[in-house]
Amino acid sequence: MPETVQLFITCLIDSFFPHIGEAMVRVLNRAGVRVEFPAGQTCCGQPAFNAGLRSEARPLAEHTIRVFEQTTGDIIIPSGSCAAMIRHGYLELFRDDPHWLARAQALAGRVFELTEYLVDVRGVTDLGARWPGRLTYYPSCHLLRGLGVDRQPRLLLAHVREAEVVELPERDDCCGFGGIFSVEHPELSAEFLKRKIANLEKTAAPTLVVADTGCLMHIQGGLTRQGKPQRVVHIAEVLSNQR
Amino acid sequence: MNKDQTDTEFIPLKNFHQRIRRSLANETLQLALDANAARRKASRQAAFASLPDLQERRARAHAIKAEIVAHLEDYLAEFIRQVEANGIHVHRAKDAQEAVSIVLKIVKDSPQRLKDSFVNPPDLSGEDVLIAKSKSMVSEEIELNHALEAAGYRVVETDLGEYIVQLRGERPAHIITPAVHLRRQEVGVLFAEKLGIPYTEDIPTLTNTARKVLREVFLNAHVGISGVNFGVVESGTLCLVTNEGNGRMVTTLPPVHIALMGIERLIPTLDDLALFLSLLPRSATGQKLSVYTSLIHAPLPGQTRHLILLDNGRLALRASPLAESLYCIRCGACLNACPVFRELGGHAYGSIYPGPIGSVISSALVDPQFDYLAQASSLCGACREACPVDIDLPGLLLRVRAGSSPRRTQSDPRGEQKEAKQHEGAGIPLPVKLGLKSFRLAASTPRLFAALQTLGGLLTHLLSPRRAYLHLPAWTGWGYSKDFPRLAVRPFRARWKEIGGREQRIESREQGIESREQGAERREQRGESREDGQEVVERFVQELTALGGKVERVSADELAARLQAFLAETGATQALTDDTVAPLLGKAAVRRPDPGIPVGVTGALCAIAETGSLVLVSGAGETLTASLLPPVHAVVLRTGQIVPTVAEALARPEVRRAAAGVIVTGPSRTADIEMALTIGVHGPGKLTVFLVDER
Repeated sequence: MPETVQLFITCLIDSFFPHIGEAMVRVLNRAGVRVEFPAGQTCCGQPAFNAGLRSEARPLAEHTIRVFEQTTGDIIIPSGSCAAMIRHGYLELFRDDPHWLARAQALAGRVFELTEYLVDVRGVTDLGARWPGRLTYYPSCHLLRGLGVDRQPRLLLAHVREAEVVELPERDDCCGFGGIFSVEHPELSAEFLKRKIANLEKTAAPTLVVADTGCLMHIQGGLTRQGKPQRVVHIAEVLSNQR
Repeated sequence: MNKDQTDTEFIPLKNFHQRIRRSLANETLQLALDANAARRKASRQAAFASLPDLQERRARAHAIKAEIVAHLEDYLAEFIRQVEANGIHVHRAKDAQEAVSIVLKIVKDSPQRLKDSFVNPPDLSGEDVLIAKSKSMVSEEIELNHALEAAGYRVVETDLGEYIVQLRGERPAHIITPAVHLRRQEVGVLFAEKLGIPYTEDIPTLTNTARKVLREVFLNAHVGISGVNFGVVESGTLCLVTNEGNGRMVTTLPPVHIALMGIERLIPTLDDLALFLSLLPRSATGQKLSVYTSLIHAPLPGQTRHLILLDNGRLALRASPLAESLYCIRCGACLNACPVFRELGGHAYGSIYPGPIGSVISSALVDPQFDYLAQASSLCGACREACPVDIDLPGLLLRVRAGSSPRRTQSDPRGEQKEAKQHEGAGIPLPVKLGLKSFRLAASTPRLFAALQTLGGLLTHLLSPRRAYLHLPAWTGWGYSKDFPRLAVRPFRARWKEIGGREQRIESREQGIESREQGAERREQRGESREDGQEVVERFVQELTALGGKVERVSADELAARLQAFLAETGATQALTDDTVAPLLGKAAVRRPDPGIPVGVTGALCAIAETGSLVLVSGAGETLTASLLPPVHAVVLRTGQIVPTVAEALARPEVRRAAAGVIVTGPSRTADIEMALTIGVHGPGKLTVFLVDER
């Protein structure tokens, strides 16, 4: 009887990049896991929380807790940022409310970022994936420093057949997305982005792998604006690729 | 750079964006900041490589500061008892205004006391009082220079970076390296203009020019004003960490010394001090120990010392959800790690406390308007990673955004929390606020959310039928530098209905289990790996030599002759000495602090192997001046005096008993101009240890 997990797809993948969600389901299936998708889910509330609008973030956090309380099993999220929001951000959000804090803690214990779940929980590092060509990986800030997840995506990528994984210079530096930061402070955000793209070009890799959709749409948006040929892909896309 | 970047008034939000653009367009600034970012990061990492138990030390430092802040009033009361018992006058100031008037009163009253001065008894007529200052962020916070100058006094900043910034009429651009925004050419122009020297880009020449001017200031100053890096509760020690030697000068030479300190800068014991000293210089400048670590307890003979303890919003911070910000030891590591600081430099922030920590504390300590600074962060967490006290800076920035900054008012000076919600999202533009509110309304109802997703998908596909990314105009923020992806016409939730309906092809696999590495690979047992005597000596010699010091190994019999020969080589007929070495020098020994003498020869209380340091204390004659004023300093040390660690040196009872002491780690140095290391600033540029073998 295979393990069953709950998918928290995140509002960005749901709305903008549903094919990443499909890739993720294939990856989880291949790791021996059955996937369920609670239909009531929307957004974890991080945009409002990060903006400081906690009274706006709270209803969405409560909604998310209610939706997933009706399910059992681990909750897998294809985003370090959203996973960090539920694991750490909710505890902050409900810090002064013992009732909701307890419910948030229970949820936090069930939440895993995709690569963290595959490697640390399932013990899987080789998914039989194939990706001909050069790849470079950018560790998103909330995944790297918020969750401390770095070894896991690297292990997974190291087992991708025909992929030549090269190091991204200044890899740990922020790409400048930062949610509403990139809208509120576009000048600063643009400088970070410029540097990230310049570093990507140094690797001569046509493909940048990330594990967070915010960074993906930010960097891909910059590449597209500049007419650059590189593509940014989610790690689930790489891991689900067989051909 | 324009002078108006340094307005002392706070800057409203709309000007913040102008300042950001101006910083980004300033090429000199960008070059200087890029160089700073790269070098600081590399030197920090190199320095921490010698500290294998860094994470454990961070956790301990965090816990110690948490304890201090949790029981601040108790620790403060005990600290004040100790400091007063040591003979230092203690003053408490609740705000900037009070602190300034205390300083003014001390300065005003000081001329009467100057008769006892031991250097150049001045002939004062009120107005020509000269005040020498070493770097103090608290003095910037209370705008002390402005007040002193308004009262007619002459104030001179003596840290090279601060001096440059003062000559330019600016404020520091960084809490550790004030002139980080400048390049050598600008300093050359400045010195040519203000000090009348021919234009030069040679950093040693520039440094030496400042040295000469400032030496006169030290020797003639009536009052010295300094900050304090750590106040040690158990002993009442005021610890100051500097590299150039100016901190030692202003606390040693003028007959009146005023130390300014924020009330939170306490640590419980001298043993804790050793821990914090292992973190602060590494984080700030990439040194194992700064060149001069001064340990002040009591006034020197003929000197008066004052300590002013400043609240100015700190107790309000403590009572707020931002209390953790009081753990800060002002090392500047978060500034150097911050990608926003790397683009802006310090001035654009408008507050004298820039960077991540500045964005947390400025609204409480400087001006409530500054809470918009917290919005200028991508929450990337590089600051927290760099913080040696493991302060959750991104978490605190989020709390500032949520309106948690204490608001001090006339009727509520403690700034007790009332309506955090009222201040939620301070500094966010209204359209963004409204957007987030609408998004919340939509996302609270899954059906509405799904309908809007589809609508968005159709709309964006209509707007951009061919390209997957839309070209948005710059004013949208997003469109400033990048395109925006179309929404999917069929979002994931719609596709799931098919996937979910299908039977999932679940593979059973037991392979690939090669993960789960042991997390803690190289966790060395913390502690006292007792090196044997010879290793300790070797380590000391190695560390000091690496810092540019010289070690001459001698036997006890040949010591006197070798010292005489050393004086002859240096071209000195006289040497400033203390009681311990005077007999060795015979007639050449001078015991008065005469600044004309080119060599100082002193003994030492002990030496520290792990950092290559010498520990000198007052009490045996002119040890402190002889090791500071002459350009050459020689030390007589026995091998048996070398201890392995800073903690063991600080445990020596003589350290606590001395009116003042200093840990000297290499020759005086600065890196304030373009971070180019220059040896020999205010303290000796040459340091030689005559190491007497005891076996």
